[in-house]
Amino acid sequence: MSSTQIRLTTRTRRPWTPSQIVLTALGAVVSAVFVAPVAAALFTSFKSEAEAAEIPPHWLPQDWTGQAWQALFETGNITDWFVNSLVVSVCVTTVVLLVSALAGYGFARTEFRGKSVLMGVVMSGLMISPAVLGVPLFTTVQQMGMVDTYWGMILPQCAPAAMVYILYKFFQGIPRELEEAAFIDGAGRWRVFFTIILPLSRPSLAAVGIFTFIASWNNFLWPYMVTNNPDLMTMPNGIATVMNSYGIQWAQLMAGGLMAGLPLIIVFVFFQRQIVAGVAHTGLAGQ
Amino acid sequence: MTTSAQTVIAPARARTATATATVRRKEGFQHGGWFVAPFVALFALFVIWPLLRGIWLSFTDANISGEGASFIGLDNYREALDDPMMWDSLGHSAYFTLLVVPCITVLAFLLAMLAHHIERGKWIWRLCFFAPFLLPSTVAANMWQWLFTQGIGLFNETLGIDTPWLTDKSYAMLAVVIETLWWTVGFSFLLYLAALQGIPAHLYEAAKLDGANAWHRMVHITLPMLRTITGLVVALQVLASLQLFDQAVVMMDFGPGPELSTRSFVQYTLEQGFTSYRVGYASAVSIIFFVIIAVVALARMWLLRTREEATR
Amino acid sequence: MGRPGLNRRHLLATAGGLAVAGSFGFAALGTGADALASSARTRVRYWNLFSGGDGANMIAMLDAFRKETPGIDVKDSTLQWGNPFYTKLAMAAAGNRAPELGVMHLGRVAGFSPGRLLDPWDMDLLAKYGVRQEDYHPALWNRGVIDGKLYALPLDIHVQLCFYRKDVLRKAGLLGDDGRMIPVTSTTEWFDVLKKARQAQKKGLQTIGLWTNDQNFQWWFFVAFYTQLGGTWFDDANTDVTFDADKATQVLEFLRRHVTDGYVIPGAPTGEQFINGAPFTWEGNWSVPVFSGAKLDYGATPLPPVFGRQATHAESHSFVLPHQAGRGGAPNEAAHRLAAYIVRHAQQWAAGGHIPAYTPTLSTDAYKKLTPQNEYVQAMDHQATEPKVWFAGSTGILAQDLGPIVVSSTMGSARPDAAARRMKDRLATLLASKNPMDGQTAAQGGAVA
Repeated sequence: MSSTQIRLTTRTRRPWTPSQIVLTALGAVVSAVFVAPVAAALFTSFKSEAEAAEIPPHWLPQDWTGQAWQALFETGNITDWFVNSLVVSVCVTTVVLLVSALAGYGFARTEFRGKSVLMGVVMSGLMISPAVLGVPLFTTVQQMGMVDTYWGMILPQCAPAAMVYILYKFFQGIPRELEEAAFIDGAGRWRVFFTIILPLSRPSLAAVGIFTFIASWNNFLWPYMVTNNPDLMTMPNGIATVMNSYGIQWAQLMAGGLMAGLPLIIVFVFFQRQIVAGVAHTGLAGQ
Repeated sequence: MTTSAQTVIAPARARTATATATVRRKEGFQHGGWFVAPFVALFALFVIWPLLRGIWLSFTDANISGEGASFIGLDNYREALDDPMMWDSLGHSAYFTLLVVPCITVLAFLLAMLAHHIERGKWIWRLCFFAPFLLPSTVAANMWQWLFTQGIGLFNETLGIDTPWLTDKSYAMLAVVIETLWWTVGFSFLLYLAALQGIPAHLYEAAKLDGANAWHRMVHITLPMLRTITGLVVALQVLASLQLFDQAVVMMDFGPGPELSTRSFVQYTLEQGFTSYRVGYASAVSIIFFVIIAVVALARMWLLRTREEATR
Repeated sequence: MGRPGLNRRHLLATAGGLAVAGSFGFAALGTGADALASSARTRVRYWNLFSGGDGANMIAMLDAFRKETPGIDVKDSTLQWGNPFYTKLAMAAAGNRAPELGVMHLGRVAGFSPGRLLDPWDMDLLAKYGVRQEDYHPALWNRGVIDGKLYALPLDIHVQLCFYRKDVLRKAGLLGDDGRMIPVTSTTEWFDVLKKARQAQKKGLQTIGLWTNDQNFQWWFFVAFYTQLGGTWFDDANTDVTFDADKATQVLEFLRRHVTDGYVIPGAPTGEQFINGAPFTWEGNWSVPVFSGAKLDYGATPLPPVFGRQATHAESHSFVLPHQAGRGGAPNEAAHRLAAYIVRHAQQWAAGGHIPAYTPTLSTDAYKKLTPQNEYVQAMDHQATEPKVWFAGSTGILAQDLGPIVVSSTMGSARPDAAARRMKDRLATLLASKNPMDGQTAAQGGAVA
C-alpha cells in the first residue's frame, strides 16, 4: 500500500526517457491487440444482424442500433441465466470459503489420527477435475438424483483441494504465540479460529474467495454436463448450448457474451489490486 | 510440511499445567476431525467416490441410464488401447499442449517484462493483458469463432488474408491455439509480474555498480530468479492444456473440427459417455487419462524434489 | 475512517449476507426464475433444435398456439443442433428431469431406447386434438411405431436439394422451356453443366457450394449418391457388411472432382456465396426461407440423378415425449395438444421448405402453390436413408464415424479408394458392436423393431 503510494509520487516526476517512450508505445500497441477482440464484440453488438454478417466485415457499425441488446432481454433467457450464474457462484464461493478455511486450519494446526494420510489423499485430489473424471462424476450425481438441479451444479464445485492447500500454507505461517495466549485465557479451538485466526486471514480468504468466484462464474464444463434444462443454465453454458431460434445471430451472441464477461471485468477495474494479489497468491501457492 | 504439522502441540505442552490440560482435552480427533470433516465429506462424495466408481465402471458395460451394468473384465481397456480414435484425440490434446505451453510461457514473460518496465499507467497494461482471462471460456471462444469465420470475420480482414481457420484441418487447431493464447496468457502474465516485483532491487543496484548492462542483468539476475515461477507456469499450463475442451468445442460448434482435427481427449471421452451412451467404456478412457495426468503431476513433483536436493 | 466508513461496512456486510441467503434460498427452490414466474398455469417445456428459418417459423406457430390456448404456458428452448441436442435430451430423460415435449429425427428414435428414454404417445389424446393415423403415409407413420406403440409423431420430411440461380443458368443456357434447370442424368452431363455455369457466373465466387468441410453434409450427399448407385449397407439379417467399396469409391471420386476441377472454394460459406451469385449450392430444404428472403430468382431440385436413378437424402423431424416418471395430467395433455396443433398447422412449416408429413396439408392448394417446394415435392418418393440399425440416424454414431472419412476424401487428405475401404472396415466394427442400452448387436435386434 504505502510502497505503491511512494511509487506514485516518484513516478510523476520521472522524465520521458527515449527507452520509456519506446516501451510505452510498444505497450500501447500490444494492449490494442489484446483489447481488439473485445472491442470488436462490443461494436458488433451494436450492429444490426444483417450488418454483423456482412462480407466484407468492418469494425464500426454503420448504423448504431441497440436491437441486439433489446432482443437479448426480450427473449428472457439471458436474465434467467444471469441470476443462475449469480446464485451458483455465490453458493459455491460461500461453501468453499467455509469448508476450506476449516479444513486448512484443521490440517495446519490440529492433531487427529490419520491426519497425514488424509492430507495426502486430499492433495492427490489436485489431479482430479471434471475434465478428467467427468463421466463417473456425472453418474455419481445422477445416482444422487441431482442431475438438472442447482445442488448438482454447486456441490461438486465445492471440494477444491487447491484452496485447502493455499489456506493450509497460510495458517501454518501464523505465529503460534497468538493462539497460545488465547488458549491460556481459556478459549477453545473454535473460538480461537473464529476470533483470532479468521480476522487475521482476511487477505488470504479474499484471495481464495475471489479466485473461486471467478472460476465458478466462468465454469463451463461441469454445468454443461449436469444441466440440460435451459431454465437452470448458467451464463457460459446457456450462451454456448442454447441457440437463439433465429440461428447464429452474431450481434446477439456478442451482446450476450459481453453480458456474461463484463461484470467480472468491471469488478476487476475497481478491485484490481485485490484480484491481482488473489490470483498471484493462489497461483504462487502452487509452488 | 508433515513434520511441522506433527509438532503443532509441542509448544503448548511447555505451558502451565492448567492451560495444557484445557488445550489437550480439546485436541484429539474430536476437534481436528470436526474442522476437516465438512471438506472431507464433500471431497469423499465428489472426488474420491467418483474415482472409485469410475474404476468400477471401467470394468463394466454400463450405459447412460444408470441401470443394468455387468462386469466384463478388462474388455474396455483392451478396446481402448486398440482404439485409433482414442489415440488420435490424445494426439490432438498433446499437439495442442506442445504448441500452447512454450508460446504462453514466452509471451507471458515478455508481457510481464513490458508491464514491469513501463513506468506509467501500470494498471492499464495489467488490465489489458489480464482482462481476457476474466471472460468465460465459451464467450472468448464465441468471439474468436466469429473473428475467424471466413468472409465475415475481422481476423482475416484485418490481416488481409483469406485463411480457412475453422474449416481446414491444418489450421483449425492453430485457431484454437491462438484463441487460447489470447484468453489465458493473462494468468501466467500475472504470476510472472508478481515474481518480477518480488526480485530484490538491491541485486540490480549491486550489478549496476559492477558495471553490468541491461542484457547482463537480465541473463544473470532476472532469468535465474524466475526459474521457479517458470517451472510453475509450465506445469500449470501443461496440466490445463492437456484438459483442452471448452474452446475447441465451442469454436467448432460442438463438433470434432474439420476431419476430427480438434477433437480433444476430453471431448472424445464425453462423446463416448454422453453421445454414444457407453459409460463403461468412457470410464475406462477416463481412468487412462487420469493415469496420464497423474504421471505428469508426479513427474513434476519428482523434478522439483531433485532440484531442491541439488540446490541444498 | 469514522462513522461513515463503519456504516458503509455494515451496509456491505448486510447486502452480502442477503445475497448469500438469497442465493441459497433460490437454489433450494430449485426451479429457476422462469418456472417460478409462471407457476400458476399449465407449463409445457418444449425442446427443439430448430434455428434459422425453421426457428422463426416454429416461433410463429408457437405464438399462434399461445394465442389460441392462453391457459397453457409454452416454454420453448432451442438447443445446439445435432449431437449436443441428443445428448442433452438423453441425459435429461436418464436423470428423470425431461421436458414435456421434444423434437427428434425419426432415424434416431430406434436407437434412443423407446420405453426407457421415451414415453409412447396417447392415441386417444392425439385423436381428441385432431391427429389420426389415417392422415399419414403408412410408411412414414410406421417408422415411429415400435412394439406396437407410437413413439414418434412425424412432422415433416426434409431432403437435400440442388439449389440453382435462374439468372445465372439462363445466361448459361441451362434452363429449360419450363423455366427449370435442364435434367441431368450422368456425371459427364453434370460436369458439363458446371462448366457452362462457371463461364456465365460472377468471377471470384465458387460455382457450387458443397459443404466440403462439413461431415454431416458430406455424409448426406454420400448416402444419396451411394443409393443412386444401388449400393447397400448390410444384409437383411444385419450379420454381414454388404457395403460395396467400388461403388463408394465412385461416389467419393465424384464428390472429390468438384474440388479438383476448381468448382468449389473449400471452406467458403456456401449460403453467402449463393446469395452473392454462385450458380449452385447443395443444401437442405431448410435453406428455402433464407434464399426466398434474399429475394433471389432461384429454383431447387432433388440432388441430380448423376448415377442414373433418382435418390436424395431424406430425414424427418418428429415429436417425442421424453421419459418422465410421473408423465400424465394437464402438462402431458398440453404436450399432446401442442404437438397436434403444430402438425395440423404445418402450412407455415412448409414455408420453411419442409415437406409436411400431415397429408391433408400436402393436398391443399396453398401448398401446391408454394415455390420452389412444388418443384421438389416428389423427392419424398425417392428417399435415400441410412440403414435401419441402432447406430444410424441423423448425426448418429454411423454419421459421426463415416462422415469425417468422406470429408477426408473430398478434401484430398485420403485417396477415395482408401477412404472407401476405411468406411467398410468401420461398418464392420459398428455391426459387431453392441448397443450400450441393451447389450445387443444389430443382428440380435439391438433395439430396432
